[in-house]
Order: sequence, then structure tokens, then C-alpha cells
Amino acid sequence: MTTRSMLSAAAIAAALLAAAPAADARDLTVIGFGGGFQDNARKHLFQGYARERGVKVADDVYNGEMAKIYSMVKANDVTWDAVMVEAPELVRGCEDGVFEKMDWNVVNKAKFIPAGTTTCGAGAVGWGVTMFYDQARVAAGPTDFAGFWDVQKFPGKRSLRSMAKTTMEVALMADGVAAADVYKVLRTPAGQQRAFAKLDQLKPHLVWWKSGAQPLQLVGSGEVAYALGFVGRTIRAADGGAKYPILWNTLLYSFDYWAVVRNSPHKAEAMKLVEYMTDEKPLLALAQDWAVSPATASVASNPDVAKRNPGMVASHASKGLFIDTDFWVENGEDLEAKFNAWLAR
Amino acid sequence: MSRRNLLAAALIAPLALLVALSFLAPLGATLWRAVEDGAVSTALPRTAAMLRAWDGEGLPPEEVHGELLRELRAAQEDQSIGPVLARLNFEETGLRSMLLQAARAAPRLAQPLSRSLPELDPRWGDPAFWRLLKRSATGWTPLYLLRSLDLRIGAEGVERTPAGEAVFLRLFARSFEISLVVTLLCALVAYPVAYGLATMPPAWATAGIVLVLVPFWTSILVRTAAWFIILQREGPINAALLALGLVDQPLTMIFTRFAVYVAMVHVLLPFAILPLYGVMKRIPPEYMRAAASLGAPPWRRFLRVYLPLTMPGVAAGSVMVFMLAVGFYITPALVGGSGDQMVSYFIAFFTNTTINWGMAAALATLLMAMTGAFVALARAFVPGLGAGAARG
Repeated sequence: MTTRSMLSAAAIAAALLAAAPAADARDLTVIGFGGGFQDNARKHLFQGYARERGVKVADDVYNGEMAKIYSMVKANDVTWDAVMVEAPELVRGCEDGVFEKMDWNVVNKAKFIPAGTTTCGAGAVGWGVTMFYDQARVAAGPTDFAGFWDVQKFPGKRSLRSMAKTTMEVALMADGVAAADVYKVLRTPAGQQRAFAKLDQLKPHLVWWKSGAQPLQLVGSGEVAYALGFVGRTIRAADGGAKYPILWNTLLYSFDYWAVVRNSPHKAEAMKLVEYMTDEKPLLALAQDWAVSPATASVASNPDVAKRNPGMVASHASKGLFIDTDFWVENGEDLEAKFNAWLAR
Repeated sequence: MSRRNLLAAALIAPLALLVALSFLAPLGATLWRAVEDGAVSTALPRTAAMLRAWDGEGLPPEEVHGELLRELRAAQEDQSIGPVLARLNFEETGLRSMLLQAARAAPRLAQPLSRSLPELDPRWGDPAFWRLLKRSATGWTPLYLLRSLDLRIGAEGVERTPAGEAVFLRLFARSFEISLVVTLLCALVAYPVAYGLATMPPAWATAGIVLVLVPFWTSILVRTAAWFIILQREGPINAALLALGLVDQPLTMIFTRFAVYVAMVHVLLPFAILPLYGVMKRIPPEYMRAAASLGAPPWRRFLRVYLPLTMPGVAAGSVMVFMLAVGFYITPALVGGSGDQMVSYFIAFFTNTTINWGMAAALATLLMAMTGAFVALARAFVPGLGAGAARG
């Protein structure tokens, strides 16, 4: 090798080493489920906090899969600070020690609605799934889950979430079980058999979705006639011109919570961020741009917010079914395994 | 070994060691994860030690009951109880709520616990439960490997899991079936394409290679999603068929096994074409001319001269396609129906959704072992699949 080529090689190596990012010093990171909510939350909640406190806040998206968080905590290399989690994953994560216990000295516990807090979580937003279809293709579709199952009267493919959670409840309600008794029945082996038998009836007509955008894509493209989808996205699509009816009597709802990942280097800051994100002023600002269903009591009962967001799950809770967190924490693993086995048959 | 060779070996040794370690270490870790069972021993150490010391007959002594409840409550306090509950609930559903209920009720339970616990829940008085707990207190377990083969440890040793939960053997069979079909289709399609590329004039051949490589370099997610758009009810294929009057209802092509085959062959074809192209390019055209001059008709020239010479390429391409196909997850998940999912879907499910490393590792280990056995058998029985050189 000539001296020149050795020198240039050394120069490149030095440049690469210098360009290597510093090992520490990352921004406070908050993780959500994405979509329109996160875009607006970034403006009002994340960057609002950044502006007020003068810290940098980065955000990213995930699909609810907990494996990354578990690996992070296990490897003691935590790169996520605050995460929005669904209720059963929050409870399980708390038991498994991947989330910090909420610091109620920093986060004001009293400002939440009942069921708005758990040991490791502070209530963020409500969410729900409802049945919908494209009225441009089908003028009058089914109005309840029994109709969803009726392929004679309403022909076409259907789409449900590729999980036992929400699917089993829908199957039982289609079979005539009253909303109040759904979890009582589902707890028993006979009840689970009943749900699977009902799902067997619909299986040849079912297409399964995993991510929130899929049901809208499937119904929009005509691939599927009737689907169960996140009501927030459905309302948004309807506002944007699509003719999707919002059937509140088919609502299944729950709450998402903010949680702080265990052993995060920005633990204290993350708690303050959670306190800010669940505060009245930032949430009211967010409600101006995006229909929210907050878990903060003062915002949830604010008449202006309710008017702006006809889709707030809290205001339709009486017609819908609350997805029982405790039930899914206890039976989730078993039912998901059974569901996957059924799915693979 | 001469000094030169020793020196060469010594220089290569560190790198060879690194490569070997970075290959063997993850495999070893996965194998270990498939059989390790430290959840109970880590979170409830004294209980585990007592259970190991107990002989397994009838019910364990009173102290074990007390120690178990004490350690359960302590584990709840410091958030280490999760893995214990997950591990036990996986072996038998309902144990999670049973243990949590007992931990919550512990302060109010009267002595002796061996009497008051069964009053809370009859399973506490069942020797089978305590034997299950004892089994979970050793450092390792065959539970995950057995479950992956649709077996479990019952009252009289190993038994089959009930039909409602037995899914893995069928899944392995389906994965290998899909992979074999895809391999065959790839080989059949790749052969004429590679032949064309190898024998076309250079300008055309270059264009052809580019057409093969550019999709190869495109993201697999983009390619798979594109198939959804093409095969959907209101997509271009159905539109064309309807316009031509060949069908009067749009065909259901997406979310079927057909879509899985099409998309997988599309994605894996370059892996079959490129080795074949390499081998075909090196076959001297004189051989075919010589065979012709000796009086062989075209079909015989092909069967007796050309085909055997290209077999190493077919073999290399097929083995690569097969091994890739067996591990496919994204493509069947996006374009297949619920009956088309392969083993990797479940590995992803256990890793991402239920965080059950044991099952994920066990399925991965078994998949690797079965694939290895499959390829070894194929090499023994399929001509031309042996190492390198062409065989007569």
C-alpha cells in the first residue's frame, strides 16, 4: 500500500469515528400509536411541554407491541421514556416491572375520571371500536352485531381485529348475550366455546386486520363490506367526506394510559411530562384541533369539548361496552393463544 | 503444517473466532431460552429451594405454603411477580388469578394454611398443582419444546394437548408445504428466465439482469403491499377479467393461499435466478454442439447434457429459496388468509404480543432443526443436490 492510500484510509477512519454519535445525551422520548392524534399531540402536548420547560422532546410511533419495552428494560438500555399503553398491557407491564409506579407527588391523581388511573398509569385518552361500512356502496347496512353476522341479508366480506380482545365480545353480543353479561359468560369455558362457535359461522367471510389503518383501507377499497374499526379514525374519515355511519350502539371502548418505562434515564422528567400532558390547558388546546376523549375530569366534562367532539367515547359510554381490563389481564394470554389456534385451523 | 500456513492460520484466527462466536452465540442463546425456566427460582428463591427438597408425594409441608405466600407478596411489592405468573399461567390457565387471589388474601388466612388455602380455592389441595410448582422450580423445563410439538406433561407423563389448542404440528406441516411449493414454482420459473439471460446478446442480457435486480433491491414490504393493490376485488386484474367478460363476478384473490404463493415466488425469484444464471453462463456452448453432432435430438441434448450441468445451480438456488421461504413472516401475514399463516407468525406472536420468550425460542429451535433435517434428507435423495461439482 502506498503512503498516500494509507493516509487516506486513516483519514476516513478518523472521520467515521468522529461521526459516531455520542453514547449519552438523548432527548426525552414519548411513544404513541401514531395517526392524527399523535400529529396533534406533538403540536400541543409534546412541543407544548418542550416550549414551556425548555427541554427537547422527541416522539415516535409503535403498534402496541410490548416486546421492545421488555427487551429495553431487561438489557438496561432504555431509549423510551413515556409510552401510551392500552389498559391490559399496562397492568401486565406493571406486574412485570417494566413500568415505573406513577409518582403521584408529581402527577395530580385527583384530576382524573374514575378508572382514570392505575398503579403505573395516568389516563390519557379514551378509544373505541365501532362497526362501520361504506354507505356509498351499501345504502342501508346492519345496525347491530347480529346484522354483522347475517351474510344472507347483508352479503359481503367482514373485517375484525386479529385479536381475541374485542372479537370474542362481539361474537357473544351477536349471539344475543346482553352487554352487561358478556364478561360473565366469557369467563366460563362454555361461554368461550359459544364465542368460537359463533365465529366459526362467520370465518369464511372474515378478513383480519392488525393495524388501525387497515379497516379503513379495506372498506374504502371495497375489499370488505362491513368492518370493526377505531371510531376516532372512522369519524375523521367521515369528516373528510367518506360516507361512514357511526353506530354508537356497537361501541366497545377503553382507555389508554401514559406510562413511564422502568429505569429510564429521564424518569423524573417523564413524570413531569405526563403531568403536563394530562393537564387541563394543554388538553383544551389539543381539543381545538383533534377530537379527544380525555381522561382528565375537567376536560371530559367541558361542554365546549363535548360539542367539538361528538365522538368522545365518554359521552357514549352508556350505549357501549367497556372492555374489562381485569378480565383481559387474567385471561388474555390464554384466550389469545386459543384464538390464534382457532385462527390457524 | 508449514510455518507459512501456521502464520496464515494465526492471522485469520481472531476473525474466524469472531465469526464463529457471532454465529454460535445467538443460536446457543435461543436454544437456552427454549429450555430455561428460571422465573420461579429467581422471584421465589426460598420457596423454590423448599420445593426442590420436597419429595413430590402428596402435599408439601406447611412451611412451604407460608413461604410461598410471603414471597408472592414480596414479589408483588417490587414488581417481580410478573414472570412467575406468566410462566405458571402458561402451563395451566387460571393459576395467575389463583395465586394473586391467595397473595391478596394472605393476611386474613387462618393457620394452618394447608387447610385454609384449599377453602379459598380447591386447587390448593390438589397434589398435581404442587407437582407442577415443583417442576417449575428446577432450572430448566421441556414445557416449551413439548408444547411446540402439541404435547404436554399430564398426570401419567407426556400426553397430547387437547384438539382446541393443538396447532403447531399442523403449522409446521403447512410451513413446509408452502415452502416446497414455492421452491418448486421458483425453480420452474427461474430456469427459462436464467437460460434467456445467459444466452441473450449482451445488451438484452444486461437489461434483463437489471429487471431482475431492481425489484430485488426494493423493500419487501412495498412489494408485498403492491400485491394487495393488484389482487384486490377492484384491482387491475379483476377489472381486466370483467372487461374481457371472462368472469361475471370479481375473483377473490387476495387473502388466499394463491396470493401467498404469488407474492412469495415474486419475492424469492431473484434468489433462484441468480445462481442459475451464474452456472449457465459458465457452460461452454461447445458441449451442446458436440452432442448435436453426435446425433442427439434437442430434447435429449437438454436432458442428458444441459440439465445435469445446471443441476448445481438449481440445487443452490432451491436450497436458498427453501430456507428463506420457511422463515417467511411478513408476506403470508399481509396477503394470506388466517389459514395461510406459517410458523414464523407464531414466533412473532410469542415474541411481540405475549412476550413468551420460551415458546418463541422453542418454535425457532424446532424450525431450525426440522429445516436442517429436511435439507440433509434432500441432499441424500435428490440427485445433484450434493456439494458443488456436476454429477453424471
